[in-house]
Amino acid sequence: MENTPECTADKQPVAASANNSAVPAKNAGHRPGELPGNKPSPTEQNLRPILEIKDITKEFEAFTAVNKVNLTLYEGEIFALLGSSGCGKSTLLRMLAGFETPTSGSILLDGEELIGVPPYKRPVNMMFQSYALFPYMTVKQNIAFGLKQEHLPKSQIEERVEKMLHLVHMEDYVDRKPFQLSGGQRQRVALARSLAKEPRVLLLDEPMGALDKKLREQMRLELVDIINSVGVTCLMVTHDQEEAMTMADRIAIMDRGQFVQIGGPREIYENPNCRFCAEFIGSVNLFDCTLISSNATQSLLRADDFTHLIELQHDIDLADGMPLTIALRPEKIYISHEKPEEETNWCHGVVENIAYLGDISIYYVRLKDGRIVTSTLPNVDRFKQGLPTWDDQVYLSWDAESCIALTI
Amino acid sequence: MSTGFSANMSFIRRAFQAKRRPTKLSKPHNRTWRDYALILVPYLWMILFFLLPFLIIFKISLSVSEIAIPPYSPLVTFEEGAMQIILHLENYTSIFTDEDGTYFRSYVKSLQVAGLSTLFCLIIGYPIAWALATCKPTARNVLFMLVIMPSWTSFVVRIYSWMTIMKRDGLINDILMGIGIIDSPIQMLQTDFAVYVGITYCYLPYMVLPLFSALMKVDYSLIEASYDLGCRPVKTFFNSLIPQTKSGIIAGSMLVFIPALGEYVIPELLGGKGSILIGRILWQEFFNNRDWPLASAVAIIMLIILVIPIVWFYKIERKEQEKLYAQK
Repeated sequence: MENTPECTADKQPVAASANNSAVPAKNAGHRPGELPGNKPSPTEQNLRPILEIKDITKEFEAFTAVNKVNLTLYEGEIFALLGSSGCGKSTLLRMLAGFETPTSGSILLDGEELIGVPPYKRPVNMMFQSYALFPYMTVKQNIAFGLKQEHLPKSQIEERVEKMLHLVHMEDYVDRKPFQLSGGQRQRVALARSLAKEPRVLLLDEPMGALDKKLREQMRLELVDIINSVGVTCLMVTHDQEEAMTMADRIAIMDRGQFVQIGGPREIYENPNCRFCAEFIGSVNLFDCTLISSNATQSLLRADDFTHLIELQHDIDLADGMPLTIALRPEKIYISHEKPEEETNWCHGVVENIAYLGDISIYYVRLKDGRIVTSTLPNVDRFKQGLPTWDDQVYLSWDAESCIALTI
Repeated sequence: MSTGFSANMSFIRRAFQAKRRPTKLSKPHNRTWRDYALILVPYLWMILFFLLPFLIIFKISLSVSEIAIPPYSPLVTFEEGAMQIILHLENYTSIFTDEDGTYFRSYVKSLQVAGLSTLFCLIIGYPIAWALATCKPTARNVLFMLVIMPSWTSFVVRIYSWMTIMKRDGLINDILMGIGIIDSPIQMLQTDFAVYVGITYCYLPYMVLPLFSALMKVDYSLIEASYDLGCRPVKTFFNSLIPQTKSGIIAGSMLVFIPALGEYVIPELLGGKGSILIGRILWQEFFNNRDWPLASAVAIIMLIILVIPIVWFYKIERKEQEKLYAQK
C-alpha cells in the first residue's frame, strides 16, 4: 500500500484508511516485479516518520536491558525487532506501551513526548504474546472493551466492533468465550481488539508465540494482510527470524540492548554487517582470513583453512596483512567431483556426513585441516545427478560475489 | 458453634485445593480394597464427628424440655407394647412465632455482624494479600509469618488484649487523651464496634490466605491489557483483578462469614447488651435455661441459613471450573 503513488504523499490518518478498506487486500504492500524482501527504504518512499525513539536507555538493578537505542518508524511500515531472549527487545516494546519507564531518552509519537504518559492514555495498542483476552468476556465484549473506555455512543461501538469482526473473519464467533476458540481464532480476536481503538502504532509481542508451527506459517501472511489493509504502523517483537523476514518491511537485529543492524529482510541476509548478524540470521560458514592485497576491482585473501586464495571483486577498506572474516552461506557453495579450473575460490575435502531435510540436504565436508564446511543442495538436484555421497573426495567452490567480508 | 465448624471444613478444603483437573476416576470394578480403605478414613471421620452429632442435635430439636437426665423427652417410647414416635415441632414454631422477636432479631444481627466483618476483612485483607503475592520471595516469608503468627497465640488471650486496648483507661483512650483529641474516654468495649474489631482481627488470616493463593495465579498480562485498552488503575482493578480473583474472594468470604455467624466468645467478651448474637442465644438456651431442644432448633435453623448460600456458591463455582477445564 505504501508503494501506490497516492499514498507516497502525505498520508491520511490511519483511522481514515481503516475505513476505506476493511477487507484485506491480497499482497497489499507489494507491487509486481518487486524482489521479495527488498522493498524500497522508507526514506526512498517519502514516508512520514511517525515514531521517533531517541537515545532510549533502560537500566534494571543488575544490568542494562536497552542501551541508547535510536529508531525511527515510518507511517504504515511493519518493523520487527529481532533478537534472542534477553536482548532487550521486549523491554523496548514495553517502554513504548508504557509498562516500563525508560531510565533516559525520549519517545516521540507524531512529535509529542510519550514518556510520562500512562499506558491508558497512549494512542498505541498492544497485542500480547498470550493474547491476554479477558476469559470472562465474549469475543464481542473483548473487542468492544477498549472502545467502551472512550465512552463512545453505543451505536458507534457496535459499528466499529462489526467492522473489526469482519476484518478478522470472526463474525460467526461473536458470542463465544475465548476458551471456546482455537489458537488462531484467539489471535485474530486479540488483533481485532488491539486494532479496534485505531492506534497510531500497533505493538505485537511475539505474535506467533502461542501458536503451533503449522498455524504459525499460515497466520504470518494473513496477519500482514490484515495489518496492511488497515494501514497501521506496526512494531513487532520476535525471536523467530523466518517470522520477521516474512512479515516485516524492515528488521532490527538486537543484541545486548543495542541494535546491531537495521535493514530490509534481504539486506540483512545478504549483507550482514558483522559476524553476529551473519551467524544470527540463517546458517553461515565463517572463515578467518588475512588480506593480501586490495584494489578497486579485486581483493585477495588468504584463509587459514584453505590451500587456495579467496578472491573478491571489490575493494576492502583495510590495510594489507590485516585479519578479517569471510562469511559464506551454505546454499552458495557448489559441491562437485570435478576440480575447478579457477585459481581462486575453491577448496578440497571429504564428505563426512549428509543430513537429509526433505527439501534440501546439508553436506558436511571436512577439509584437510579438520575444519567442517557446510553446503546445502536442493534435493531436486541431488537425486537427479550423480552427486557426491558419503566419503567422496569433493571440491567446494563459490562465486566471488557470494563472499561477504566482515571486519567486525 | 458446631454448625459453623463443620460447614467450615468444606471451604477450607476447596480454598486450598487449587484448580485441580478432574481426572477420570477409574471405574468402580477397577478399585481395589486399598482405594476403599483410603476413602473410608475421611468418611468415617465425617460420619462420626459430623453426621452423627448432627443427627443427635436434630433429634433433640424434635423433643421437648424436661427436668430429667438427659433434659429432654425421648423420641421413641414403648408403652404397653406399642412403639410411639413423637416429633415435637413446637421448638421451631416458637422460634418463628416468638412475640418479642428475640430470635429473629438475633439472627438478623448475627447476619449483619458476620456480613460486615467479612466485608471489613475483604477490604483490609485484599491489600495484604496483594503485598504477599507481589513482594520478593525473601520478604514473603517474613510477611507470611506476620499474618499467621497471631494465630499461634491463644484466641482468648488475643481477645483479652483487645479488651485492655479498648477499655476506658486502655491504650487507645490514653493516647487520644494524651494528644488532646478527646477530653473524656470513649466507650468502646461493650459496643458493636468492639465486636467488629474483634471478629475482623481474628478472622483476617482466613481471608488473606485464599486471596493470596488466588492472586498468585493472576495473569498480569490481563491487567496490562486493561491499561493498554484505556482503563485507569481503579477501573482496571474492578475490570481485571476482581474477576480473576473471584474464587479467592468467595472462598475467603465463606471462611470468615461462616464461623463469624456462630461466633460466641468475641461478642460475649467485647460486645455489650445490645449485641445479642445467635451464639449467645444458643449458650443461654443450653446452659442458662437448660432448654436443649429449643437450643438445638436454633442451631438447626442457623445451619439451614448457612447451607443455602454455600450450595449456591458451590454450584456456580463448579460450573465455572468445568468451563475452565473445557478450555484446557
